[in-house]
Amino acid sequence: MSGVVPVVHSLAAEGGIGRIDLGWQARRPYRPLVDHFAVYGSRDPAFRPSADTLIGKTIDTHLRHEGLGPRGRTWHYRVVTVDAAGRSSAPAGPLRATSVESVTVAGRPVAVVGEFDLRSLELALAPRGYADYPARFPDGADYVHGVSTPGTHWPYLHPGPADRWAGSRAHTFRLRFELPAAPAGDLALAVWLIDTHASIPGRLDVSCNGTAVGNVALENGATRGSLEGDATVPGTPLKPSIVELPLPAAALAAGENVLTLHKGEGSWHAYDAVGVFDPG
Amino acid sequence: MRSSASDSLPNRRDFLALAGVSAAAVALGSGVPAAARTGGDRVPPDPFRLGVASGDPEPTSVVLWTRLAPDALAPDGHGGMPGRAVDVHYEVAEDERFSRVVRRGRAVATAELAHSVHPEVEGLRPGREYFYRFRAGGEISPAGRTRTAPGPRERVDRLSFATASCQAWYHGHFTAYRHLAEEDLDLVFFLGDYIYEYAINSGNLWRHGVELGPAHDATVRTLEQYRLRYSLFKTDPHLRRAHARAPWVSTWDDHEVQNNYADAHSQYGISIEDFERQRAVAYRAYYENMPLRRSSIPDGPDMRLYRRLAWGRLADVHVLDTRQYRDDFPEDSGAGGEHTDPDRSILGERQERWLTEGLRRSGATWNVLAQQVVMAQIDRDTGPGRTFSMDQWDGFTANRDRLFDAVRRFGIDNLVVLTGDIHRHVAAELKADFTDPDSATIGTELVASSVGSDGDGAPTDRYTELWLSNPHVRFYDGRRGYVLATMTPERLTSEFKVVDHVERDDTAAVSTVARFVTEAGRPGLKREA
Repeated sequence: MSGVVPVVHSLAAEGGIGRIDLGWQARRPYRPLVDHFAVYGSRDPAFRPSADTLIGKTIDTHLRHEGLGPRGRTWHYRVVTVDAAGRSSAPAGPLRATSVESVTVAGRPVAVVGEFDLRSLELALAPRGYADYPARFPDGADYVHGVSTPGTHWPYLHPGPADRWAGSRAHTFRLRFELPAAPAGDLALAVWLIDTHASIPGRLDVSCNGTAVGNVALENGATRGSLEGDATVPGTPLKPSIVELPLPAAALAAGENVLTLHKGEGSWHAYDAVGVFDPG
Repeated sequence: MRSSASDSLPNRRDFLALAGVSAAAVALGSGVPAAARTGGDRVPPDPFRLGVASGDPEPTSVVLWTRLAPDALAPDGHGGMPGRAVDVHYEVAEDERFSRVVRRGRAVATAELAHSVHPEVEGLRPGREYFYRFRAGGEISPAGRTRTAPGPRERVDRLSFATASCQAWYHGHFTAYRHLAEEDLDLVFFLGDYIYEYAINSGNLWRHGVELGPAHDATVRTLEQYRLRYSLFKTDPHLRRAHARAPWVSTWDDHEVQNNYADAHSQYGISIEDFERQRAVAYRAYYENMPLRRSSIPDGPDMRLYRRLAWGRLADVHVLDTRQYRDDFPEDSGAGGEHTDPDRSILGERQERWLTEGLRRSGATWNVLAQQVVMAQIDRDTGPGRTFSMDQWDGFTANRDRLFDAVRRFGIDNLVVLTGDIHRHVAAELKADFTDPDSATIGTELVASSVGSDGDGAPTDRYTELWLSNPHVRFYDGRRGYVLATMTPERLTSEFKVVDHVERDDTAAVSTVARFVTEAGRPGLKREA
């Protein structure tokens, strides 16, 4: 069982908004037995793996580095294999990767509900008043930009058919906003969530003026966003996620536009903020 | 952790002086013959914090176990041991004072196996009590008691055993083991869920009087995490005492790897490739921490745990593994649907063949299946509908039918099934046709409640009606405990032992909440108390 611990190969990365997904391949994972892969990362390309630069340990051949913020960030990664005897391989890498910038950073806000701040606290019923949702929002949300206010008209929790407390049915939220003229190019929608259900986060159907623009499988969360609303608290159990997608110019018009968020599958998701942006 | 009793033994000096002498045995800790590899003699102080154990007795041999861990909760899972190999010496005696030592040997503890050793001691006498202890450097372990099985053709008057399962350390103290260790036992059967893989935090840490660092507040998936989890659970002194008191015959259920896993299928969206790697480290850690023979050394993601042992002509014990080879959950979980598919198997084809062959050849009075999940049909709908658990044998009805067919075909008169998993005491009769209460009873199932899982519990709870609405279920209790059984050629007496609380401390008294007798030749349960 002695010998050199094999170095992983085919280290690769893919950037997303606020995160970078890393993947690699293991050679002979059972001889010697791999205890775990340790992933190290730094903004400094000349970094050395150390306790300070440890991103995480995993038995998988992939790891998501998340919580990177809305701006595009470049990171450098190395992966070390640790075997059952506690021996480490030489580090694989370095690998350079960059996260994708959110449209909320440089885009011009057209219609925004709430603050993109990893908190649901400014929204209606937050942080744990979901039991009042059926009475307060029997028809979901119908939010008029410039007229409505987040704390009154946009519930922090958007239920789905798997939620018995909300009638075990689909729920639709609408955001109405004015455009002075039909846009020349696509706009962008940003839906930031502070949490989703851990096992049945469901899908979000997005349409604009009746035109379907996206059907997004939400990421599994921690099922805590119904009860707490601040994902910036150290050690928070909340698992935020981000959905951003284009709103095609052809689906938009001068005057009132109606953006529809329909939850026809799965359980609830908890909002951080929702916004339409002109990416410029 | 050093035993004061051992320290005072008159021949401790001899044991120290005999280091390396008569090391004829194979150094099974590393699977390498002792002659081919030698460890060092330098060991940090107090390396026997995880205790000692023995297991899988045969007429002339038994496997001993210890794992060196002077800093048991070191986050890297290596127990505070350096990376180098260490010689671990053992001796086996006929008496508690080690004045009649009959075997000495040496095993090499290596970092690859977390400095665990599993020496198989041969050349012992059948049906005898023995005492054993280890030495590493100048440190001597507490002494353990074990025994060998009777000779293969021996008429045996009595087998006394206990069954235990489901020891969620964080849900309560292992008070049940405090009492189990006081019983006069030939064997302990452990029936699965020795550890749990869940993160431990304020949401589930119901055991009073302990504080844990952040290393334990994480779902267990890597080898260092599994090793640490075993060490944490073994910090309970009553568990260590129970191991030291009698040989254990152990099998696993799902939580030694991950909740409800089936073969290479995780139920948590993990790919087969990633999950096989997780299963490999989980199985490695299981082997490292249990008194198992060399035949169970894992090979990557595979580990042979099903095996057989005999107690003279009194009993053949078939230890089953219903996790590693089972078919995945059916897509359709409706009653009468895919779970009745004749191709489904909870044992896998090879183990099924092995079990059938073992039953066919058995000449013992009793045939015991030591296994994990409930075998009796349990309709979980108390109304007119029918609902079954797809995680238990109900999810594999054709496999159960094939087993029952074999039992009848080979004239197995006295089938006893030992089960864990559900955190409740249950006694049930196994019926030829579970839908017909008047059909023949072909076996007896004794389900041991948990040692720790689900905390204090209560005699009755929200599941009582569900279980007792099945007419072949004869008893139910929702408290923590163990089953104590005495088997003779004439009858099996089973006592369901409970403790009233486990969360606040380990002081609860034990009581017998029910006693059943199963007459040889008449499967089923007769309640005596």
